[in-house]
Amino acid sequence: MENINVLVVEDKPEQSTKLVEILKENNFTISGTATSFREAVDIFYAQNIDIAIIDIFLNGRPDGIAFAEFIDAQPNGLKPFIFLTSATSREIFNRAKLTKPYGYIVKPFNELELIYAIENTIEKFYGQEDSFSAEDENTIISDDNLFIKKGKALKKVNVDDIILIEVEEKYCNIITEKEKFVILISLVKILDLLDTTKFYRTHRNFIVNIRKIEEIIPQDNLILLEGNHSATLSGKYKDIINKFRTLK
Amino acid sequence: MHKKLKTTLIFLFICIPSFLLSQEKSESSALNKSIQHNTTSFTTNADFKKAQSYFFNNHWDSTLVLTTKVLSTSAKDEKLIDYCHFFRGISFFEKKLFKKAEDEFLKISKNFQLLPNVKAKLGSIALESYLFEKALSYYKEVEKIPKLHSQTINMEHIKDNIGICYLHLQKYEKAKPYLLESVRYQEEQKDTVLLIGSYGNLATLYYDLYKDNLAIPLFQKAYALAKTTNDFSTLQTTTENMAVVEENRKDYKKALQYRKEYEQWTDSLNDQNKIYATAKAEEKIAVEKEQKRIVKLEAEKEIEAAERDTFLYSAIILFVMLGVSLYFYRAKVKRNKIIHQQKENLDALNTTKDKLFSIVSHDLRSSVNAIKTSNKKLIKTLESEKRSKVNDLLQNNSAIVNNAYTLLDNLLNWALLQTDQTFFRMTNLQLYNTVEHVAYNYTAILADKEISFENTVPKNETIYADKESLKIILRNLIDNAIKFSHSKDQIRIYTKNDATNFCHLIVEDTGIGMDTNTRQELLKDTTLLAKKQHENIIGTGLGMQLCKSMIKKNNGTFSIESELGKGTKMIISLPKKLI
Repeated sequence: MENINVLVVEDKPEQSTKLVEILKENNFTISGTATSFREAVDIFYAQNIDIAIIDIFLNGRPDGIAFAEFIDAQPNGLKPFIFLTSATSREIFNRAKLTKPYGYIVKPFNELELIYAIENTIEKFYGQEDSFSAEDENTIISDDNLFIKKGKALKKVNVDDIILIEVEEKYCNIITEKEKFVILISLVKILDLLDTTKFYRTHRNFIVNIRKIEEIIPQDNLILLEGNHSATLSGKYKDIINKFRTLK
Repeated sequence: MHKKLKTTLIFLFICIPSFLLSQEKSESSALNKSIQHNTTSFTTNADFKKAQSYFFNNHWDSTLVLTTKVLSTSAKDEKLIDYCHFFRGISFFEKKLFKKAEDEFLKISKNFQLLPNVKAKLGSIALESYLFEKALSYYKEVEKIPKLHSQTINMEHIKDNIGICYLHLQKYEKAKPYLLESVRYQEEQKDTVLLIGSYGNLATLYYDLYKDNLAIPLFQKAYALAKTTNDFSTLQTTTENMAVVEENRKDYKKALQYRKEYEQWTDSLNDQNKIYATAKAEEKIAVEKEQKRIVKLEAEKEIEAAERDTFLYSAIILFVMLGVSLYFYRAKVKRNKIIHQQKENLDALNTTKDKLFSIVSHDLRSSVNAIKTSNKKLIKTLESEKRSKVNDLLQNNSAIVNNAYTLLDNLLNWALLQTDQTFFRMTNLQLYNTVEHVAYNYTAILADKEISFENTVPKNETIYADKESLKIILRNLIDNAIKFSHSKDQIRIYTKNDATNFCHLIVEDTGIGMDTNTRQELLKDTTLLAKKQHENIIGTGLGMQLCKSMIKKNNGTFSIESELGKGTKMIISLPKKLI
């Protein structure tokens, strides 16, 4: 599992220090801290970013809104962002609202509020509201990553690293090359959201990454995967064989 | 011979006016009746009615004055105007002002009922003016009118006048039948004077035709008849005629005799004329007097009318002015009332503001002062290196600063709310998270005061509200709960649901509680701030005020359950969904 990469855009050192501190404590990775629009744009292109936290006012100007507009204008690189503001003024909010922010934090904020805002923003951005706050779920699935809330921390897993998903009632065991962990998600949702060109269901309880398959042994109803993992192939899902060019 | 004729004609002609006038009287009653019958519709016009009565009684000057008035004031109805002109025409005619009479008669419209009478009068005027052709044309028109329609006109009289016209125009053949008819009629009527005139006329006709044998007996007959009357002018004319006749017959003796007699009648007539003239002059003076009196009365009446109008207009103007001033006065009173009310409101608000300022400044002053004192102590303590005590003092400072911060925060929010500057957006909120976020800030204080805190709101409980204002509400309620709790007390936050669409969020503490009075004071819907009760605890009532306003803005309700010494339940009811 990897940390979430956060870009902090905040002109006041005191504020950005506090932000960075809280984020690091909660196992986030800071992609960079920008103090101006220009810096923010540079970091945005240079670094790997999952989410941006933007102060509306940078050096007395509402440059934060300009940066949000810049993000909104990215054709492929659209990222979630959160506004940070001390002004509860209606006028500024009305301007900020036009950029369709996925969340906002009103200063002064505490740790809980910040983390909640980040989670909430990711939920909204991927259109999977209440995934983290609900009692029986903790995962958001995007095209590239799984965002998983582990305790208080928020982590991500690259979808391509997953070898096998083993479904057990309300849980799913995720097995990657390096690790093995449990997420809370319903089977319906996971089937609905996973990229079907990458993942196939082979059994009531198994979903496999098609690129990680090493061998299929139909007579044993067995699929051998990378890293000595194996999954069961049931008769209902035997169509999977047709997906491969068979050598005879 | 020709010259002789001329003289004769002139003398004969003198008969005509008197003849016309005497005829008038016999006709007038019929004419008056006809007028009275036709003008009943105008009797509402007082002036016309008067004019008519003056007309009937032959008061020509009064008639003229009144008709002028009628014509100048209410000249609307054609018939009325015609009658007025008719009256005026007759009046002028009677006063021998023939030119004016003619003008008046010519103004009468063609539809006038008494048009024949008008024509007859016009004929008479022409005759009087020696315009025989003109007179003849008018009389001929009248003659053509059927008998039935001309009851008010003496046709014999008309015919006689036609005869005279022909006579003057020397159309003797045409004159003859008319004059003969006239003689016959007058013999029938037995009016001596008129008969003499007719005889005279006929005789003149014969004489002009050189039928002396027919003419002379007629002249003699006229003379004989004239002798029986006392009419000097008739006697004079007949006598002169006889003289001329005798002169022509070369009987100068007789002629001289007649001449003498003529002189005698002339003298008598002159005497009589003098008397007449005196009488006429007297009458004229009387008429003039009457006229003056009428003119004066008219003038007086006019002045009176003008005065009356002036009074009326001034009364109207005064009334309008009174109305306008009354309206403005009322408007002013109304405005003043509004201004007064606004002033009262402003005063109340100002009082609130002043109070707020005094409390806030007092509280802030004491907070800062407390920190000042505490800091001095801290420095001293640091010098003496009592570590544990330094920690205590810092904790204390931190608590004071926290309280002061809460106060300032509330003040800011209150100001934003009052000036309507807050960004307010109602959304579906997860209540549990919001409570957790707010409560997180109090973790240290709760631990310090050893107060146990519990948030048992279900994770899936959602309400419809604005997040930031809900946070302010919760902050204040938790703050209060901590403030009014002792150590080892409990604070619980939980929800209760009933059949309504509202979620009841309850902040419950086991602190000192409050009495009924304080509770009601807190719930009172007023902008005024509650009186400060706990002098030793920082508080202004501003927080509660803010809570109430924010809850109201979120379409919620607020209530308190409390018992002195046992604790307090603050209950916020907020809508679960968009209403």
